Amino acid sequence: MEFKISKEIFLKALQRIQGIVEKRNTMPILSNALLEVGNEQLFVTATDLEVGMKSSYPTQVIREGKITVSAKKLYEIVKEMPDEEIHFSTKENDWVEIVCGKARFNIVGLSSDEFPYFPKVKEENFILFKNEILAEMIEKTSYAICYDETKYNLNGIFIKGIDEGEETLLRMVATDGHRLSVSEKRIEGKVGPELAKGVIFPKKGIFELKKMTEEEAGEIMLGFMDNSAVIKKGNTVVVMRLIDGEFPDYTKVIPAQNNCNVLIGRDKFLHSLKRMAILSSEKFKGIKIDLNPQLVIISSSNPELGEAREEIEAQYEGNGISARFNAKYLIDVLSVMEEREVELKLKDELSPVIMKAAAEDDFMAVIMPMRL
Amino acid sequence: MTRGASRTIMHIDMNAFFASVEQQANPELRGKPIAVIGAAKRTVVTTCSYEARAFGVRTGMNSWEAQKMCPQLIFVVGNNRKYTWTSTQIIGIMREFTPQVEVFSIDEAFLDVTGSRALFGPPEEIARQIKQRIRERFGLTCSVGVAPNKLLAKLASDMQKPDGLTVIRPEEVATVLERVPIKDLCGIGPKLQKQLTTLGIRSCGDLGRFPVPILKRKFGVVGEKLHYMGLGEDDSPVVPEEEADEVKTVGHSTTLDKDLSDRGEILKIMLQLSEMVGRRARRYGVAGKTITVTVRYPDFTTFSRQESRASATNSSEEIYQDAVRILDGIELEQPVRLLGVRLSKLSQQGEQLSLLEQDRKKALLAGAMDQVNDRFGEFSVTFGTLVGTASGAKVISPAWRPEGLRNVDVE
Repeated sequence: MEFKISKEIFLKALQRIQGIVEKRNTMPILSNALLEVGNEQLFVTATDLEVGMKSSYPTQVIREGKITVSAKKLYEIVKEMPDEEIHFSTKENDWVEIVCGKARFNIVGLSSDEFPYFPKVKEENFILFKNEILAEMIEKTSYAICYDETKYNLNGIFIKGIDEGEETLLRMVATDGHRLSVSEKRIEGKVGPELAKGVIFPKKGIFELKKMTEEEAGEIMLGFMDNSAVIKKGNTVVVMRLIDGEFPDYTKVIPAQNNCNVLIGRDKFLHSLKRMAILSSEKFKGIKIDLNPQLVIISSSNPELGEAREEIEAQYEGNGISARFNAKYLIDVLSVMEEREVELKLKDELSPVIMKAAAEDDFMAVIMPMRL
Repeated sequence: MTRGASRTIMHIDMNAFFASVEQQANPELRGKPIAVIGAAKRTVVTTCSYEARAFGVRTGMNSWEAQKMCPQLIFVVGNNRKYTWTSTQIIGIMREFTPQVEVFSIDEAFLDVTGSRALFGPPEEIARQIKQRIRERFGLTCSVGVAPNKLLAKLASDMQKPDGLTVIRPEEVATVLERVPIKDLCGIGPKLQKQLTTLGIRSCGDLGRFPVPILKRKFGVVGEKLHYMGLGEDDSPVVPEEEADEVKTVGHSTTLDKDLSDRGEILKIMLQLSEMVGRRARRYGVAGKTITVTVRYPDFTTFSRQESRASATNSSEEIYQDAVRILDGIELEQPVRLLGVRLSKLSQQGEQLSLLEQDRKKALLAGAMDQVNDRFGEFSVTFGTLVGTASGAKVISPAWRPEGLRNVDVE
């Protein structure tokens, strides 16, 4: 196999797959990228068996063929090459030669025979999504994804489509067991049986999807096959295995009878929380919120340091309530909201609080308090 | 290393501690050969009285072995609560003389009395007073060693037992050490002793004179330390409990009644240990991120494997699940003699409530079980698989301390 490619394109191709390749050294082949050339195209594939990515790039093919090479090393090499055309060729025994300008590298590769099979994608039953919609929904839910691997059913985002005649309501939900985030958007067209039932996209796949939505304008195609989701955008295909588990019934988690409603300016609230959180150390984390009519007090105390207290203006008519929260959970929610006014809906000091934009209903977070 | 010439360190070692406590509690046992044993089925002698030692009974012997040595031996099942209580009281007595008390184990402590001489007189006098108070209050004897550092103090307390008081003055160190066999030094075990003997080193004098480069080549960094040990030099400080590192682990281990190779039976023990660890962590409001499993084979090969989790836990169930996963990663080559489960990388437990009902129920259940067990004794309410199993590690861990997280009811 032999081809010539511009450094810029080759670098971009290799950069894209860095997040996919396996970092733990369990199967050496998974640390490698599969390079295939033919038909004036270079195909670059990487997979960790959970999430796989295949992209195509224009190239000048001299000799068709395929090889696998360490994705990380190849990227490092190409990155430091001069801005000239790169000449890539395979030698005997899976050796690879990379020449650029006067620089010449000979590195060992591995035969492509052992590289996992990347499924052929049939472009049927794909749904189209606008970049921005997916980007926003992921932004507003991914912060709540659970990182505890023993709770594997929470290690991703639950995505469900609800049929509403001509339109579909797309919903994304993530939770780590302490807080939950729900984002909803209306999309055109109908969804297939998988989305109608609801599927869990793995965390790693979600972050790849997010990168794709941020790269360049364009639409994203989503389809399903064999317990996997297939995402296609431009010259790139990502296949991710869906999490095989039951997502908890989040509808039960969202409280229906929280009648103590507070309206607070987002920026003031966010900055106050950041200030008060300074005194909530690792050991004594948690800030206290005292609600009184027309007056909200946020405070924190730390036996090793001292205490802090701040009053912020808010609209509130109900009874006095005091509740303690992990400040980070509140800050996370405010950080993904653009709206200027937030609404808190509480019931009592030990029940979950709802946080949402006062003017919008397409996003909501539910946060469980800490013991007082 | 500096010569701690100006320091005065004391090592106090309670004589036949458990056995003496039992003899004081029950006058009928006084003057008789007794052996304190654990409550588990296959037990070893944890301590025996000096009367029993005269027959050759030793700590660590199987009960049947001990019986053969001394047919009239009286076995007493140990009562750990009694020992921990007495130990705490005795440490209180030591603290009357200096705050610099390092509890080494349940029956041993180091005292730095350098600053106490002005108040209480020469070290011999302090030692005599401490011995007297312990005898008056508890009828117990101890051996005291006084020396310029911990290494020599411990050596000195070992020189005269029971009821000894040995002083090694700075100017006497070299003379004393000349003939002391290296195995008497704390830190030189049988294996190290054997290696040193092959170099022709038998006494501390030999060790101190031995060329350091050769020691270093053979033992690495330890080589230099060995050289100083041979000279009787040791600059390690006496670390009182308050200054000691915050407790970093909660763990339990148990020697099994019989060696086990059946997975089901091993898992049962693992669950039991996980519950003990989880319960203790919950009691002190801590949660840990790393779980360690320790396995010992009948030939005493012992090893540990550990894994870290994404979030801290003190749930018995989660500790158990992780422990089993670790165990499944170990290829057991022999039956198992001892099993241990340990939780480390502790942090104060967040009082974050759970959003999901299922998790909340689990937390409530653990809390309710803990309450029942607090009132009616350990394992009154427990997992179904554990019903009918005798429970508990019945050995006081060397990590036992009079206060804090380690002061557990080990009974």
